[in-house]
Amino acid sequence: MTDLFVDSYPKQARVVRSAFLTAYIALGIGALFGVLQALHRTDILRLVESPTYYTILTGHGVFLVITFTIFFLVGLYQWAVTDSLGRGPVDMRLTWAWYGLMSSGTLLAAIAILAGFLDDPPTVLGSELSADVLFTFYAPLQANPIFYVGLVLFVVGTWLAGADWFRTWWSWKQENPDARIPLPTFMVLTTMIMWYISSIGVAVSILAFILPWSLGLTGSLNPTLTRTLFWYFGHPVVYFWLLPAYLLWYTVLPKLSGGRLFSDPLARVVFILFILLSTPVGIHHQYLDPGISDGFKFIVMTNTMFLLLPSFLTAFTVVASMEHGARQRGGDGYFNWLQALPWRDPAFTGMSLAGVVFAFGGFTGIVNAGMNINYLVHNSLWVPGHIHTQVGTAVALTFMAGSYWLVPQLTGNRLVGRDVALVQVVLWFVGIVFMTNSMYRGGLIGIPRRSAEPQYDFDYEIAVGSIPEIRAQLAIGGVLLFVSAMLFLVLILLTAFNDDSEPIVDGTIPPALSGPEDSPRVLDDLRVWIAIALVLVAIAYAFPLANIVSRGGLFGPDIGPFPVVVETVASVLSTTDTGMYLEALVETES
Amino acid sequence: MRTSPAKLLILIAILLVIVVELRTVLAFFDVELTVLQGIAVGIVGIALLLVWAFSPLFSESDQ
Amino acid sequence: MRIHQYERLWLIGAMVLIVGFIVTITYGAVGLGITMVDDQEATLPPDDIDDDERFADPRVEQVGEDEYEAYVVAMTFIYQPDPIEVPANSEVTFYVTSRDVIHSFTVVGTNTNTMVIPGEVSVMTVEFDEPGEYGVVCNEYCGSGHHDMEGELIVHPEDEFTLTELAVDAPESVAPGDDVELEATIDNGLLEDLDVTLEAEIGDETFEEDVTVAGDGSETVTITVDGEELGEGDHDWTISVDDETESGSVTVGDEEDGGDDS
Ligand SMILES: [Cu+2]
Repeated sequence: MTDLFVDSYPKQARVVRSAFLTAYIALGIGALFGVLQALHRTDILRLVESPTYYTILTGHGVFLVITFTIFFLVGLYQWAVTDSLGRGPVDMRLTWAWYGLMSSGTLLAAIAILAGFLDDPPTVLGSELSADVLFTFYAPLQANPIFYVGLVLFVVGTWLAGADWFRTWWSWKQENPDARIPLPTFMVLTTMIMWYISSIGVAVSILAFILPWSLGLTGSLNPTLTRTLFWYFGHPVVYFWLLPAYLLWYTVLPKLSGGRLFSDPLARVVFILFILLSTPVGIHHQYLDPGISDGFKFIVMTNTMFLLLPSFLTAFTVVASMEHGARQRGGDGYFNWLQALPWRDPAFTGMSLAGVVFAFGGFTGIVNAGMNINYLVHNSLWVPGHIHTQVGTAVALTFMAGSYWLVPQLTGNRLVGRDVALVQVVLWFVGIVFMTNSMYRGGLIGIPRRSAEPQYDFDYEIAVGSIPEIRAQLAIGGVLLFVSAMLFLVLILLTAFNDDSEPIVDGTIPPALSGPEDSPRVLDDLRVWIAIALVLVAIAYAFPLANIVSRGGLFGPDIGPFPVVVETVASVLSTTDTGMYLEALVETES
Repeated sequence: MRTSPAKLLILIAILLVIVVELRTVLAFFDVELTVLQGIAVGIVGIALLLVWAFSPLFSESDQ
Repeated sequence: MRIHQYERLWLIGAMVLIVGFIVTITYGAVGLGITMVDDQEATLPPDDIDDDERFADPRVEQVGEDEYEAYVVAMTFIYQPDPIEVPANSEVTFYVTSRDVIHSFTVVGTNTNTMVIPGEVSVMTVEFDEPGEYGVVCNEYCGSGHHDMEGELIVHPEDEFTLTELAVDAPESVAPGDDVELEATIDNGLLEDLDVTLEAEIGDETFEEDVTVAGDGSETVTITVDGEELGEGDHDWTISVDDETESGSVTVGDEEDGGDDS
């Protein structure tokens, strides 16, 4: 058994622990907000007024898919780079700088969001402090500038984190000029390249248009343009959440199964495919948008379908690696080898169940990607069903399972409650199936997403079961997930304070069966892939963006002072809670 | 016992998941299970699993 | 590059599947003619909505035999018109735009579904075969009252569908010796001629008149009643055509400021 990570790299372990801590806090708040929504929209328990539902919904989205996932990512990637290169960052001050930037960005955004709970929010930077704009912040809905500033700081922090890892690798390369990039580092670098290419979209959207507009510097913007720039980033960000889970599936899961990764070259190909194809697909979130021609929509549909390929390849490699591990452990037969897998290990079981859910969720994703059938499900409850199988389980459950394996190595403490941890991951699996099954069924009959009270004057035409049954199932699933999340946090907390213990965990990652020497070196030449990716992005986006700008103008289709923040209107609309009313409305006297 | 508690737990979880999804799948073939029938199928399934796991009838003699 | 035999087969299978998906979807778009919302319609800034002849008066209009156009405006947190009424056995093209933020126009349980973005006009053509009632919801979060944003789409049986509008011009009061004149204008929005019976009631007197209104035209009927016969005092009147009813009251008498003393 080798030294624990915390013993070999105490300084880096501290960064990773800090990043994970932030991620877990976000998970706790986000999970609480999640169960509140599940109970509110099903009309089972309403603790807040319906306008406040959207404050909770914004928090749920931002804290989980921005804070939890990405803080876990930077922690995991810091671990992966350090561990696979066998060295720390060149300068730890840069490391703490990006952690600080990301944290302060999160804090600012969180303050703006949580101010939505105040009856009488203070005025900051010229407008009321609140951000009930959901994590997609589609203009002309407008949040306080603090919210956007927070997002910018956060994203800049992740850019610096990437720079830090590239710098570490570069310095390693000087010492190992002929060596292939170790697989975990390769995955980190390729993920970050994808992230650099795609997060430009949201950076331009905020810095050039939304932030100046929310500060009152510009009077108008083009809502189709900011929305398109958002989705330019909004689809790849999904892979930004997913790729750390892939890293765990490719490196840790085969090891936990008792074997080794099946093929290192294929893993590299998969990550390269994500650099190439993640970004030129974003318009598939806009199949229903006017102002974008159906030709462009068709192109992104085909790109999106090819994006299935890396996930298909992953399914093969991961299952093959598991089978290899099972056979090493004495498993045999066509299916009997499944019995030989270490099901008692919560880290293994959690990741495996997450993989199973991911496969199912992939099929619902194919439905979303089909541009004509998308019209049936777009923005219905089906869509959060899909998101919760993919991000909410494939990613989140893998992160939780990975934590059971990593946290002991980062703290030097033994995992507390291994059997409870197994119950926790199984509970998540059951909870997510209850919840998402009801969401899929609800979505197909037209129940909308993102609605505090999807109870309308008309009746849904339901084919199977009944509306109360769908609601009950959704609520049960939500409660199970909440209980599971809390169990997880308690176990991690106990582990963090479990000082007088020796962890039983082996941190070594065995080499792949088919190693990097079986693949051409060009796979490691990242410049080639960056260049091809940029060309593909240009092909997919140059014409749509040019078309959108020529139709509506850079700063809006000559609309005059477009959005006005709320307080001018709030007094008129006495029925609306002033604090929550965040609507941007057209100023008519222009 | 024929299997380990961990595997039994996972088998029960997978059974629950299959019952939930089965109702939806069967509905495509115009077979509609009510909630109670669904719960009944689940309970019977779990009972069978438990019998299979614990019954001496099935237990391996060379334990 | 060395790729395991099984992996190669898997790869080929995956590619076949992907190409299969693309072919199916392309067939849906080209073969079955399932169209998408696109950029065919010119932009329309929200400030110009009130000057746009389609959206200034949100409505349903007949444009051909069994062909209709619906001009819908979405705003926080309503749709205009509401309800939207169309006949069965028709082809309706919806034009939808937004006055403020991004909404959706979603006919619940169908694939009639579009984003509604300020500055843009979404166009969708939908065939309605059967009479029925649908809910319309906004499924794009649009602010604190988002969940209240709903409308109704009613598909009437073909023979019961009309686009008739009734407007009545009536005095509020007349001098005792003058006539009371009720001027009823019947608008026929359909392209076919409309045969209707106008029914009027004022005081104790009732009138009935058969009117034919030309397609896409209007007809004005004037009902004249002698003020003296009615007698002094307030008199309620009602005029109805089909389902449209207008009512009001007229005062016959010596109020000092009698309305018609010009
Ligand atoms: Cu709306």
